Amino acid sequence: MDEDVLTTLKILIIGESGVGKSSLLLRFTDDTFDPELAATIGVDFKVKTISVDGNKAKLAIWDTAGQERFRTLTPSYYRGAQGVILVYDVTRRDTFVKLDNWLNELETYCTRNDIVKMLVGNKIDKENRDVDRNEGLKFARKHSMLFIEASAKTCDGVQCAFEELVEKIIQTPGLWESESQNRGVKLSSKEEGYGGGGACGGYCSML
Amino acid sequence: MAAEEKWKSLASKQHSGAGEAGGKEPGVLLSQQLAEPGRFAYAALCGISLAWLFPEEEQSSFRMGFIEGFVKWLDLPDAVLPAMTAFANGLGGEGTETFAQLLLQDPILKENPVVITQDLLSFSLRDGHYDARARVLICHITWLLRIPLEELEVLEESLLESLKEQKEEESETAEAARKKKERRKKLKRYLLIGLATVGGGTVIGLTGGLAAPLVAAGAATVIGSAGAAALGSTAGIAVMASLFGAAGAGLTGYKMKKRVGAIEEFEFLPLTEGKQLHITIAITGWLCPGKYGSFTAPWSSMLQSSEQYCLAWESKYLMELGNALDTLLNGFVNMMAQEALKFTVLSGIVTALTWPTSLLTVANVIDNPWGVCLHRSAEVGKHLAHILLSRQQGKRPVTLIGFSLGARVIYFCLQEMAQEKDFQGIIEDVVLLGAPVEGDPKYWKPIAKVVSGRIINGYCRGDWLLGFVYRTSSAQINVAGLQPVDLEDRRMVNMDLSSVVNGHLDYMKQMDTILKAVGIKTKEEKGSGSFSSPPARQSQQAAGSGTQKEEGTEQEEDEDVAASDALSASAHCPDSPSPVLGGTKEQTAGEGAS
Repeated sequence: MDEDVLTTLKILIIGESGVGKSSLLLRFTDDTFDPELAATIGVDFKVKTISVDGNKAKLAIWDTAGQERFRTLTPSYYRGAQGVILVYDVTRRDTFVKLDNWLNELETYCTRNDIVKMLVGNKIDKENRDVDRNEGLKFARKHSMLFIEASAKTCDGVQCAFEELVEKIIQTPGLWESESQNRGVKLSSKEEGYGGGGACGGYCSML
Repeated sequence: MAAEEKWKSLASKQHSGAGEAGGKEPGVLLSQQLAEPGRFAYAALCGISLAWLFPEEEQSSFRMGFIEGFVKWLDLPDAVLPAMTAFANGLGGEGTETFAQLLLQDPILKENPVVITQDLLSFSLRDGHYDARARVLICHITWLLRIPLEELEVLEESLLESLKEQKEEESETAEAARKKKERRKKLKRYLLIGLATVGGGTVIGLTGGLAAPLVAAGAATVIGSAGAAALGSTAGIAVMASLFGAAGAGLTGYKMKKRVGAIEEFEFLPLTEGKQLHITIAITGWLCPGKYGSFTAPWSSMLQSSEQYCLAWESKYLMELGNALDTLLNGFVNMMAQEALKFTVLSGIVTALTWPTSLLTVANVIDNPWGVCLHRSAEVGKHLAHILLSRQQGKRPVTLIGFSLGARVIYFCLQEMAQEKDFQGIIEDVVLLGAPVEGDPKYWKPIAKVVSGRIINGYCRGDWLLGFVYRTSSAQINVAGLQPVDLEDRRMVNMDLSSVVNGHLDYMKQMDTILKAVGIKTKEEKGSGSFSSPPARQSQQAAGSGTQKEEGTEQEEDEDVAASDALSASAHCPDSPSPVLGGTKEQTAGEGAS
């Protein structure tokens, strides 16, 4: 498709119901916000091409449903994902506490262990904060995740969250170049090795 | 009647499965029973399968159309469309197993997974058009869900029965209106086809196009209300007429009015009595005096579908060829010479220009009739293509089987179809046995897109006669009937028949064995076809052939076994045979009468 796209990356968004996963995605892809957004059914899918360090990457983003009744479907999306965005609601401690469960699930179903993880604390525009920024940071560090606080409503940190994640994935060539060559279902026919890549493990995060 | 009951009982079974009250009301759409996650998984499974089966760019409109219609059919919100589109475009294929497992764990399916087959069939037939691709998809889904494929055959048959009955009840006014339209259409068709026209005494019925308005009126009924049962209503008539092409006359009604091009003879002979939602056309390669003097002779044991035809073409020339072949192998050339010939041809040392003179006498006998038939088979193939494209057979999937020059007819038919538009979704499977055509994959690539299911190339490395006659006819060294075709496509299945076929003539004499080897259903055979290839279709070969021939007692035993599955069905109408097993048409009719 696009000639100059370096690679296509599969990104997954997970987290409890109502933390704003779909809102984050909508803000990122369409730059809109809908306070009345309906609950996701099954999974939503969006594609967006972004440019990080001069490398264009096409993101195939799977936005999973947080509702319990769709939980059984989630395992099917983990496979082959290069990056995952784990979202919690800073105004709801329970969504933060449940993160451990999500990490467990990730571990169980994910096909690779070097998947890049990004923790996003959403809804920082709200007054009634329940989870401190430092808590989130500590949790992210403990599980070697990237971390950012964001608000889909005010657009704070949304772009940054996705860019950081992609940057980190691109800096880990083993994560995506082999994948693009021997995947059963090709995301794009134009995928060629890795041209940019750059230094391995140049880990610079928002920490 | 019994069949209709059967269909209804199946519907009511799924109904009772949902645990809803009012068992009398037949047919509740699966979408109303499955929970949302189940429906999502179901649609996703279809999307992923579509992407796997028809990844080609030119199929994208079919994939999208199908999945969009299906989301509506299942009553899923439009919000899932992006994800479904992604699935149908080949993304997220990793989830197939999870979706299948999830679907199977659903209480409704756990009890009776066949409802999925039924639902998909209803969906595929909703606008009176049975696309070959839809059928291939159903086969694939049923395989993924480990549902035996004969269930599909049984469902198709019982649906057909219930449609038939409805058709008889067609009101007089509707019939009058229909006939009026037909007359107009008939005139138009004379102009459209040009090649040949439809005649043959039988009333010429609805074509697919004509049925469309009727269908449009009925479609809402079908989709809105209980799908399966609704198909057997007013809409059903239109659906039925559309499916079967020129009502009832179908292919047998087709006769050439005048000579078309170089073709002197072209006619469809029925091989079986029945009607089916998918048909098979067999094409004979040559005729020889005696036992194999008719076109139908080699196919006597075939039972791929209960509606089968045999193409009769150019018997004069095929008989000449048969005579030449006969002379060649029984008398004219003695055993020694035959061995020498075989050795020479197979060793491949001697090129076409330096054949020994002793062999050239052989060539004199065979080359002329062979050359004539070679040319005519191509013409016949092209003509067949236009008949299939004009849907004389109705809007339902067609399977083509042919050996020797018959396979060549198929090859040219597919090639011709590939050059026209609207060729998709007509041909389900093709089987070419000992085909005297190019074996170079580049020639096969375009024809692959015409076929929805499989392309089976049955070849024999030791077929010296084919090697010999083909030597001068054209310069190609690759002959499909002698070696596998290296086409990288999920459809392409090469089968080495060397263990079954000793020489070219065996294609006619050993057809029964070959059909079994290739995995085509035959009358006697109950067991499995051993060579079956792609996983999607494997169960098909193991399936169903038996159901047609089973004796009453045997069937009753089987019914008992299946009774546990079909409890509610037999409770609903104790007289009808279990829908899980079904019966022959005769049985069904008999029971209906009793």
